[in-house]
Amino acid sequence: MSTEACVDPAALSDILSRYPAAEPSLIQVLQDVHRAYNYLPCDVLVKVAEALDVPLAKVFSVGTFYKAFSLVPQGRTIVRVCTGTACHIRGAGQLLEELERQLDIKAGETTKDMGFTIKTVNCVGACAMAPVVIVGEKYHGAAKPAKVGKMLGQGGGHEN
Amino acid sequence: MSTRQLTANSRQSTAHPKTVTMTIDGKAVRVSEGASVLDAARQAGVHIPTLCHHEALEAWGGCRLCVVDVTRQGWDGWCKLVVSCMYAAEDGLIVLTDTDRVKLTRKVVLDLLLARCPETPLIQELASRHGIDRTSYQANPEPTDCILCGLCTRVCDHIGVSAISTVDRGIGKQVAPPFHQAPPDCIGCLACAEICPTSCIPYETSDTRRVIWEKSFEMVRCPQCGRAHITQEQARHYAGRGGVPASYFDTCDACKRRQLASTFTKLQVVQGGAR
Ligand code: SF4
Ligand code: SF4
Ligand code: FES
Ligand code: FES
Repeated sequence: MSTEACVDPAALSDILSRYPAAEPSLIQVLQDVHRAYNYLPCDVLVKVAEALDVPLAKVFSVGTFYKAFSLVPQGRTIVRVCTGTACHIRGAGQLLEELERQLDIKAGETTKDMGFTIKTVNCVGACAMAPVVIVGEKYHGAAKPAKVGKMLGQGGGHEN
Repeated sequence: MSTRQLTANSRQSTAHPKTVTMTIDGKAVRVSEGASVLDAARQAGVHIPTLCHHEALEAWGGCRLCVVDVTRQGWDGWCKLVVSCMYAAEDGLIVLTDTDRVKLTRKVVLDLLLARCPETPLIQELASRHGIDRTSYQANPEPTDCILCGLCTRVCDHIGVSAISTVDRGIGKQVAPPFHQAPPDCIGCLACAEICPTSCIPYETSDTRRVIWEKSFEMVRCPQCGRAHITQEQARHYAGRGGVPASYFDTCDACKRRQLASTFTKLQVVQGGAR
């Protein structure tokens, strides 16, 4: 459980102080933890369970249920490729292949320098723009494999 | 469609009747208020198949195998499909457990379960009893015996431990301890393994050691008969809940009963002698 490097505990106490110490706070706390650490570290989940008096099994269940949560460290920029029906039909497969080739990782993996993580998602509600790739927080509609390099270059920022 | 709304507010308006009377497949049955349609059917001797139901646990409505059609006088023949384990018995309810729609729904449920668990005897048997010998979907290439009925996690919650839970979702959903490691909260009571309808939770138990969920436990031996009957963690857990010292659980139930019986016998002798 504690195979990973210890994470900054200050962020956690700060998060916990913002919510009532009870089960209904669980998802909000996990969301904040995810924002602070960019994933849900095991030892933090153990502390969350204790602080909110929720069984650890419940915390793990919730943490693994939502796609928005990751239990492994993620890249600084998350590249989400929509593989929903509309995007699939309009070439999400080739886009994904090109991204995997350029970053040299598979969907669900993170580059060694922790720069990027590729994830696939099922319909982001922007089917009219299919196929859609979301780099960080920036949406790219009608994305083409040839533009992948440029999209990654624009990556990281939170521009919208 | 508006007739269907009746069910939403068909809670009894008469002053708290203690029982309700309804019919199930034409048989009249009277059950206490608060009973489910499934309870009523069992009382009436009408068989409804279930997979996620257990008397000791709250109804959950997960497997959908227990569906039945319900209707009422005045619904103009409208029926609605409900899960009998969750649907409260009501006065005047007409329950049909053998309509084409019910049979078809159960078939679909079993067809899907058979796709997930193609090698599980319980599911094979149930499916074949409903006319399915092989799934019409693609059979799971990695067969599992877990039907995700949730009985194990719910019984673990029920005893106040919650050491295991469902993990992930969709086709990846499974029952597991936190982080897929020996669960720190587990007391080794085996309730999860014993309640599992497909017996798919492995464990080992011997006179000295018990292993479940890859956690090992030391056993408490009954000082009277020497039988290893519970784990130390179980004794501690029960003691914590019952306000009695953990040592109370050293003696096994059988020996406790024997002790109690002999105490009573002695008492009677004393009383008899005093007369
Ligand atoms: S392990 Fe057994 S009891 Fe638990 S969900 Fe699976 S089938 Fe049900
Ligand atoms: S053996 Fe462990 S996981 Fe299973 S019901 Fe008992 S405490 Fe829960
Ligand atoms: S399928 Fe990609 S946005 Fe809807
Ligand atoms: S027994 Fe009713 S839904 Fe499973």
